[in-house]
Amino acid sequence: MADDDAPGALNQGTENAALSDALAAEHAAVWGYGVVGGALGENARSQAEDAESAHRAVRDQVSALLAGRKADVVDAQGAYALPFPVLSAVDAAALGVVLEEGVAKAWVRVLDQAAERSTRELAVGTLSATELRAVAWRVAAGKTPVTTPFPGLPPK
Amino acid sequence: MSPLSTPPSPGFSRRTLLAASAAGLALLAAGCSSPSAGPAEQVTSKQADALAAQVAVQQTLVAAYKAAGAADPALAAAVAELASQADAQLTRLKAASPGSNGSSSAPPPAAGPDPKGWLRAQVAAAADSHAAAAVDQSGARAALLGSIAAGLRGQDGRLA
Repeated sequence: MADDDAPGALNQGTENAALSDALAAEHAAVWGYGVVGGALGENARSQAEDAESAHRAVRDQVSALLAGRKADVVDAQGAYALPFPVLSAVDAAALGVVLEEGVAKAWVRVLDQAAERSTRELAVGTLSATELRAVAWRVAAGKTPVTTPFPGLPPK
Repeated sequence: MSPLSTPPSPGFSRRTLLAASAAGLALLAAGCSSPSAGPAEQVTSKQADALAAQVAVQQTLVAAYKAAGAADPALAAAVAELASQADAQLTRLKAASPGSNGSSSAPPPAAGPDPKGWLRAQVAAAADSHAAAAVDQSGARAALLGSIAAGLRGQDGRLA
């Protein structure tokens, strides 16, 4: 049951819309990590594989949640345009940062729009895992600072 | 364009990166104390009290960074950026909780014989606290606390 049913308040509609955006972000991350892994050497590839696996698990969880509510379940696209060429391990790490930061924005949006406590639990856990991976990719990409105080939030 | 890129898709920027920057997040940027906040932003007294408690948690963490730095000057230099980010988090939390007391009621923490390990434990405890509080909030307050918790998880990882 939603926490608040007042008109204009957060409800399952606002929550499902945000979850749908998060699902789209997870689809893109799963696809993008295929690119990241392909540009990394064998020794570093497991980091991308682990990240891809984590995003697949969240993607499947959100898909099942939305399907269970008979809400729209957005499909993955066949391909996505890369934000920049990925031709080296550093490029790959930088793409990992982009993927995780994009996913973080989507999950902060879920927190902002969620009506259900259980959904906020999912969002907080996913957001934290995303930021941990983002930190590792920022290190690998040589980006500073490697941490951010407000993952997923727009600058004030 | 990289040969790996295969449009005709709308690309990350439209499909993913901008998906979360819809108008609703303007509330987050503005903080949750705006008098123009809509119905979704109505704060119960319980939520307001809980948010004020998280200000105190963050104040304790900021004090912990100072205490650890005082105990180990080399550590102070190494974690200066992290300390600055903890300060920024405190500032934004205070802005979102205008009724909160500006001063910490807790005594200054003591760093102990392993300042880095102690500091890491303080960061992890604050992250746990903010994450738990985020789940019991809603709207912009939940988003702010969840984001700060995630940021502190990243700090925890750096201190490992």
